Amino acid sequence: MRLLAGARGEAKVLAGGQSLMPMLNLRLAHPDLLIDINPADQREPSLDGNTLRLPALTRHRVLLEHDLVRRGCPLLAEAVRYVGNVRVRNRGTIGGSLAHADPTSEIGCCALASGAQVVARGPAGDGQSDRTVPVSDLFAGYWATTLAESEIITDVLIPAARPGTGWSFHEMVRRTSDFAIVAVAVTVNLAERNGAIAAAHVALAGVADRVVLADPELTAGLMGSTADEDLDAAAARIAERLEPASDVHASGAYRRRLARVLTARALRQARARAAGEST
Amino acid sequence: MTQRQITLIVNDRDHELWVAPSDTLLDVLHDGLGLADVRYGCGEGVCGTCTVLLDGEPVSGCLILAVQAAGRQVTTLRGLMGPGEELHPLQECFLRRGAAQCGFCTPGMMLTALDLVRRSVSQGRGRPSRDEIRYALVGNLCRCTGYTKILDAIEEYADQ
Amino acid sequence: MTTRDLQPRTEPYRIVGTSPAHHDFVDKVKGSLLYAADWQLPGMLHGRVVRSPVPSARITGLDVTAARARPGVAAVLTAADVPNNQIVELASGGLAELQVTMPVLAAGRVRYTGEPVAVVAAATQQMADEAAELIAVDYDELPGVFDPESARADGAPRVHDVGNTLVSWQIRSGDVAGALAAADVVVEGEYRTQHVEHAYLEPEAGVGWVENGVLTLRVSTQVIEHAAMIAHILGLSQSKVRVIAAYMGGGFGGKEDMTVEPYLALLAWHTRRPVRMIWDRQESLLASTKRHPFVMRYRTGADQDGTITAQQVEILGDAGAYPNLSPRVLFAAAACACGPYRVPNASITSTAVFTNNVPSSAFRGFGAMQVVLGYESQLDLLAGRLGLSRTELRERNFLAKGDLLPTGERLDTCVEVAQTMHRALGMLGAPPRPSGPGKLTGRGIGCNRHPYGRTIWFRDRASAWLSLQADGTLLIRSGVTDLGAGQAASLCQIAAEVLGAPLDDISIYIGDSALNPPAGGTFATRQLYMSGNAVLHAARELRERIAPVAADLLGVPADDLDWAGGHVRAETGRPGITLAELAAACDRRAVSTAHLSTWRAEAGSFDPRTGQGDTFPDYTYGTHAADVEVDTETGQVTVLRYAACHDVGRAINPMRVQGQIQGGAVQGLGYALTEDMAIEDGYAQAALFADYLIPNAQDFPDVLVDIVESGEGKGPLGARGIGEPPIGNVAATIASAIHDAIGVRPDRLPMTPERILALLDGRHP
Repeated sequence: MRLLAGARGEAKVLAGGQSLMPMLNLRLAHPDLLIDINPADQREPSLDGNTLRLPALTRHRVLLEHDLVRRGCPLLAEAVRYVGNVRVRNRGTIGGSLAHADPTSEIGCCALASGAQVVARGPAGDGQSDRTVPVSDLFAGYWATTLAESEIITDVLIPAARPGTGWSFHEMVRRTSDFAIVAVAVTVNLAERNGAIAAAHVALAGVADRVVLADPELTAGLMGSTADEDLDAAAARIAERLEPASDVHASGAYRRRLARVLTARALRQARARAAGEST
Repeated sequence: MTQRQITLIVNDRDHELWVAPSDTLLDVLHDGLGLADVRYGCGEGVCGTCTVLLDGEPVSGCLILAVQAAGRQVTTLRGLMGPGEELHPLQECFLRRGAAQCGFCTPGMMLTALDLVRRSVSQGRGRPSRDEIRYALVGNLCRCTGYTKILDAIEEYADQ
Repeated sequence: MTTRDLQPRTEPYRIVGTSPAHHDFVDKVKGSLLYAADWQLPGMLHGRVVRSPVPSARITGLDVTAARARPGVAAVLTAADVPNNQIVELASGGLAELQVTMPVLAAGRVRYTGEPVAVVAAATQQMADEAAELIAVDYDELPGVFDPESARADGAPRVHDVGNTLVSWQIRSGDVAGALAAADVVVEGEYRTQHVEHAYLEPEAGVGWVENGVLTLRVSTQVIEHAAMIAHILGLSQSKVRVIAAYMGGGFGGKEDMTVEPYLALLAWHTRRPVRMIWDRQESLLASTKRHPFVMRYRTGADQDGTITAQQVEILGDAGAYPNLSPRVLFAAAACACGPYRVPNASITSTAVFTNNVPSSAFRGFGAMQVVLGYESQLDLLAGRLGLSRTELRERNFLAKGDLLPTGERLDTCVEVAQTMHRALGMLGAPPRPSGPGKLTGRGIGCNRHPYGRTIWFRDRASAWLSLQADGTLLIRSGVTDLGAGQAASLCQIAAEVLGAPLDDISIYIGDSALNPPAGGTFATRQLYMSGNAVLHAARELRERIAPVAADLLGVPADDLDWAGGHVRAETGRPGITLAELAAACDRRAVSTAHLSTWRAEAGSFDPRTGQGDTFPDYTYGTHAADVEVDTETGQVTVLRYAACHDVGRAINPMRVQGQIQGGAVQGLGYALTEDMAIEDGYAQAALFADYLIPNAQDFPDVLVDIVESGEGKGPLGARGIGEPPIGNVAATIASAIHDAIGVRPDRLPMTPERILALLDGRHP
């Protein structure tokens, strides 16, 4: 933290390196100082009451395989299957992924849908000035976060999935392991007494300059619903609001269309899971 | 940039090297140590030709700085062979099945496949299915073979 | 459904027809093969090409002082430092093509984004890269033109002063206008294909140095004969330049033109120090040659019973900024534009046009590949219009031995395409059902006729030198270059078959312009045909010369000798003499055991005014078949099953033949569905390897392969070429399957999910 705060010139933090190192190889970034934080933390994921605590340096592969993650946030464990390839998952970290703030990030998408928070540590480095930032307040635009330049994410806190919570992750990608064209992460809670929807969170990647959480008013219409048509209608409303940009892989119009299709599929699957149906 | 001295353990042998902090592991293995089985293919971590095992795990050599690998076990394909250049059983399977054409992707493929089979067996999941092998290899691109014979070779090895 | 019986083989082969793993495959599996970048010499410098960031401009200023002054920089060279800065490549030998020169380093004008402007050598790659950034170039941008249709129009910006149309081939036979007017049905279609990138896993690379006054380049290249061009560029005599071709990590035509060679040559000659150059992958994506995008317009006329009476075809190819091999690519397209079908009245116009895009050149399939989408789509549309099945319509029209092609040539080998069609479909089994709601399945086929061997009027030849050594081992020297498809190993198999030397006792030295007899480059699916024949004949001629010595020793007529397992015997099973003993006996009798043979392909000529004459020596025929599933909500296409069958004449090494077919088919699947080197206003849209979507191990099924061995190819022992043909059928096969699934025909590549959705919506993408 001292190195970061005291750096003359441009300093960058090196965690998994799967996003930063390509930029160095392509001569797109020329930091004066590279701080390798890999040796800084050897902790494993842990369960803190009802909160899944993931050290920022937790590798993607661990998210895929660790029992606590598979049980505490199955949405994340599922989505990580879509992140990169074996080599990327052996090195890439959850903290690095969130700090990189790629607008197509599967992990960002799941973190949003799960109501996750990050712990950001400042230059004092002593834990006293740590602040807890909801992921919904973290992303600020294309590859930008609200973190200060001298702040580092140390932990990711995810409310552990409660029984009766349904989840679903859907992604459209042109080639397996590539950046998502559009990805949707959904969590759904059903009311115990009648199995109607009591809460729903929909996060989307690939549809804006950042991963976005659908406005709660768009899913408000789902509350108390038991019908698939309501889910489809909600998906349509959510997609309508989006204004995705076009790029070489997909046009904005196609992304919006995918958002509707994948959101509908994800809502249906999440609700089915919540109700204990086989999917 | 000031060079610094590090020790790399490559294929069970210690090497004392002077490296620049900005040198990647790929640079040092290929140019510094003359290991031809670790290759530059893209610099983005996408193609897999620079795959090495770092403490037994497949990583992209072009995305790791040499200094980060200091004191750790680095294994390249040649590290799998026996003392008299005896072929590893996986290599025999590749030969038998015609799983290499231009050969450029081959070391990366094999290291990744080996890691998959080892972990699958050691984690009690038995030998990986063909679909699991496909998934594990998505990051190792091949332009020559169409992948079929590579999958055949790995399945044959896994059966053993 | 009828199948014709194959000719039974009369000669049993011992080595040919088996699949041994040869030397280079063992080295590849060990990881010990040295590719072009795996070469270091003391004092080696590192090179970097500096490239234009704009597609069309005048260079009004070029300042290299800061770059030259940087510590560690050994040389910064520009156009002024190139003794002969103009490359004239007359790809069709001067026939019908505009003569346009290409500079090695841009002199005053740049014509595409990525065009080389300067070249740097420094002590480390990092120093070279930093020096490159210190070179100050002033570009005064000029209007550019970025598609061939616009480039052909009056008033279009001129890419070259002599004009934008590089070549326009015309093939005319019969009376197309009359036949179309009289046809019972006429089907029209327009098809558009995209720029694609070879994407070999090994980027362009090499090392150059000066040794004993000889400029020596060890590079990843398909053509060592470029040594002559390199000598010309440097103003050296040809005997002072040597090119050694390292085993390539893939070529596919992308290493058929020079890549690093001229820059290495300039730097090594100027500094008199070894220089290495490895292109960045992103540099290769941007600036290396690409496959020609085609616009193809077809009008096909037929009788009510399905007999094709006329084909009118217009092909427009984007040549990019410089000629390279465009004239030949568009020629191959013209020669194959009608496919494996009888067409009595044909009019084919095939034009290459300059644009300010990256130059297009050779890529596996070479023009004859893009047109398959055109002719196969027309056949399927015709079948639909006439109410005939797609297979029925094809069988009615397939060519046969003895038929005339639109160029007036008569086919002199058998055409087994019908058999390949039935076998390919047979491999698919029962059609699959959709996997869920909103999914549609479909089945498609794609037949092709693909040439092998160079255009006949190039008078192709290949030489090989064989030597039976004193210890009974065999040495082959051939200028062949090895792409990774077993070019060298196949030659050993052929020699082993003829002389009976065990494969382990055969050494082959390839790809050295100073030390090997020239074999011509590895392209045009010509190596098995040319060098295979050269080695076959060299081996037979050598055997003929030394057989009398063996015959004398064994007391039998030379024709009765059995050559196998390193021995020569009077008859199988009897003890004979070893090849070593034979070599010794020859030596005592002053009979030479070394032999050089040059094999010449049939010659011919072509008249570009009439469009009649000789085109290619022969063709490989094949059919692919596929089942796909279309997700009607997302437009995604999943290939469920894929089958390929080709008549390969004779499979010298069946496993390698299978590998070529599987690899070509998967490359074709990328071309059909996911690969797009999109260029907009002269700027590449996909700059990263992550953005250029070549197939991976997960997304496509295993390609099921079957082969027909008709024995009637013109290659050694009746073989036909198989390197290129399998890539041609794929796009047409997938388009056919999608058409079957959704009822609308895709006519634009790649067939992306977005485009499929547009078809489903009834919009034209």
